[in-house]
Amino acid sequence: MERAEILAVVEKYIREVLDDEAPETIDPARSMKDYGINSLDIVEIVSHSMRELRIKIPRNELADITNIDGLVDVLVEAAASK
Amino acid sequence: MKLVSTRVTDGVAEVHMSDTDNKNALSRAFVEDLSAALIEAENDASARVVLLRGLDTVFCAGATKDMLRDFASGDLQPHEIRLAGAILDVSLPVIAAMEGHAVGGGLAIGLCADIVLMAKESRYGCNFVDLGFTPGMGTTRLLEHVLSPAVAHELLFTGELRRGSTFANNTGVNHVLSREEVLPKAQAVAERIAEKPRLVLETLKRTLSIRRRAAFEEARTQEALMHTISLSRPEVREDIEARYVE
Repeated sequence: MERAEILAVVEKYIREVLDDEAPETIDPARSMKDYGINSLDIVEIVSHSMRELRIKIPRNELADITNIDGLVDVLVEAAASK
Repeated sequence: MKLVSTRVTDGVAEVHMSDTDNKNALSRAFVEDLSAALIEAENDASARVVLLRGLDTVFCAGATKDMLRDFASGDLQPHEIRLAGAILDVSLPVIAAMEGHAVGGGLAIGLCADIVLMAKESRYGCNFVDLGFTPGMGTTRLLEHVLSPAVAHELLFTGELRRGSTFANNTGVNHVLSREEVLPKAQAVAERIAEKPRLVLETLKRTLSIRRRAAFEEARTQEALMHTISLSRPEVREDIEARYVE
């Protein structure tokens, strides 16, 4: 799966949380928290994304991720090794 | 320092859960402090109503990882944590101002209150099944006293952590407001109740809480049976380590 496709899935769920307050562009170099997304929102965004991409990564392996790009990298790697 | 404090002002006993270091997670020390704080509130003769609040971002995070490990190893039986019952047993009306997230046992605590307030932007859910075992703390019956049974069961099966805004319509949550509006509204409701005579409030509370207290006792029995089955899964320890949300 292309990286861009995976990023699009993550961004879709970010926008779902932000709803009306979503900015025009979301910078993947930034952390979701910069956009006012709280820690449990992130849990649900990651869980929805993994389900749609049919990827399973244990929560404790996601603990050190600092920005959206970091999450997408982990998802890309997991999708490749599927 | 106490993890939960009690302060009575003009008949309103505010029980404030403020363990910032552990995000109000249910450790043994926290459970003891909260139980003691509730008794302190009730024992104050000037108290008329209890206002239970947490941190602005976290109302209560549910059991700590250590406590879950103790459940999995059998060192602690989940039904020994009778905290939800301690809230149901308070003889005065209880208002839960859930400004922040409430998960698992933390949600159970909030939903034991007589009047429940949630914040639109916070998340609420029961993720026991994500951690690999069946729900506890009375949640199998307490949720459906506030949310509709259908919604309660969906939350229990999926482990989904849902935004407060989704409970704004067609559920029994008293008020779903912006985070900063939750506490002032809870305070206003509490002040109105605090004008009434204590004997009247206690008598009414005893009657209005009958169904919920009975449901909780039934749930404890059923949940204990489910735990003997589900906590014996060989993978449960691994699931807790891999899936616990810090």
